[in-house]
Amino acid sequence: MSEFPGTSWLDRYVSRVNADAEMGVIGDWLSATFTLTFGDARYAVVVDKGRITKLIPSPRFDVRAPFGFRAPVDVWRKFLSPDPPPLYHDFFAMLMRVPDFVIEGDSLIAMQNARALHRMMNIMRETGAPNA
Amino acid sequence: MPDFEAIVGRYLTVEIGGEQHRLFIEEAGRGIPLLCLHTAGNDSRQFRHVMNDKEVTDRFRVVAFDMPYHGRSTPPDQWWLKKPRLTTKLYLEIVRAVWTTLELERPVVMGCSMGGAIVLKVAADYQNEIRGIVGLESSAHAPGRYNDFLHHPAIHGGELCASYTYGLNSPYSPEQNRRENWWYYSQSGPGVYQGDVHFYSNDWDAREDIKTIDTGRCKVALLTGEFDYSCTPAMTEQVAAAIKGSRYTLMKRMGHFPMIENYPDFRPYLLDALDHVAA
Repeated sequence: MSEFPGTSWLDRYVSRVNADAEMGVIGDWLSATFTLTFGDARYAVVVDKGRITKLIPSPRFDVRAPFGFRAPVDVWRKFLSPDPPPLYHDFFAMLMRVPDFVIEGDSLIAMQNARALHRMMNIMRETGAPNA
Repeated sequence: MPDFEAIVGRYLTVEIGGEQHRLFIEEAGRGIPLLCLHTAGNDSRQFRHVMNDKEVTDRFRVVAFDMPYHGRSTPPDQWWLKKPRLTTKLYLEIVRAVWTTLELERPVVMGCSMGGAIVLKVAADYQNEIRGIVGLESSAHAPGRYNDFLHHPAIHGGELCASYTYGLNSPYSPEQNRRENWWYYSQSGPGVYQGDVHFYSNDWDAREDIKTIDTGRCKVALLTGEFDYSCTPAMTEQVAAAIKGSRYTLMKRMGHFPMIENYPDFRPYLLDALDHVAA
């Protein structure tokens, strides 16, 4: 299994989301579990009112996640780089122009939470590039 | 004395397709008319920096208006009985009705995104009536932006449309300006942005029309941001290649909304483009 983005990066990401002032304002309605898949590495992100309460590596089938985002590591690496190239600089840009970056599951639930999710994806970029 | 900006806003009734439309129009400056067209689901506030730039307004009468249904313009009577759906034909009619009602003589027409698209058709169809066009983020064909969620009862349209367009800004543009544009997007009426994207991504195809533009009569300047993924630089390059004598400039580190997301960096490109079309 790929090490990307690595445990320390994920810990930093969770801390940043949970300390984020904007998520404190807009996150109240986001209570859902979604998956993030970096190549072969899959995580379930459990969010309660805009705060990540649990990050489950390699979730089993009894973890219910209505939607998720999946891409090869190369795509995530570009998105999380300090100077992402055009088309890889934003989550909606990748959804439109990077075929390997996909929403899995019920996209309606994702788009109902577009504002907070978009913020969470931008916090990924603000977390900095993973060392892995 | 209060420190007012130079911009003055007024309302004007304009007849479009046999209907009376009460449109909001704001302007500043004197000289060559410069008619500005905002992006899909937005309004004329996007041009506030252009209208407050003395170097521009010393030479140009800058006029920006809110499209019907947008900003402070009132939808036409019976609006509740039809979906807002912009088409190429209607858009062209709106733009021309505004400049003829205002009696603008040989204006320069500048538009961004869907406005950057329709200026190409304006140039193709009315090249004897206008001085030139400045196309910001101009494409002759731009499929892929339309989707059902942009107007959906289970989704907050304002938040989705604003978030959906937020990433079109360059990551290098100042956050305050990007957020300002987010706010304008969040204010459009239900289905208005989707109705505009219907024009932009479903109806619009000017790939043949643009070949008829004679830049000897109507100057063409095209500016596109490096980080624009709706109208990519490659899409504008195709437009430029089809219009002999047109001038295309890539704006490094810029996104889809140059006039609002980063005016200081956009300004040199704009002044250069205006010199070209006004020459």
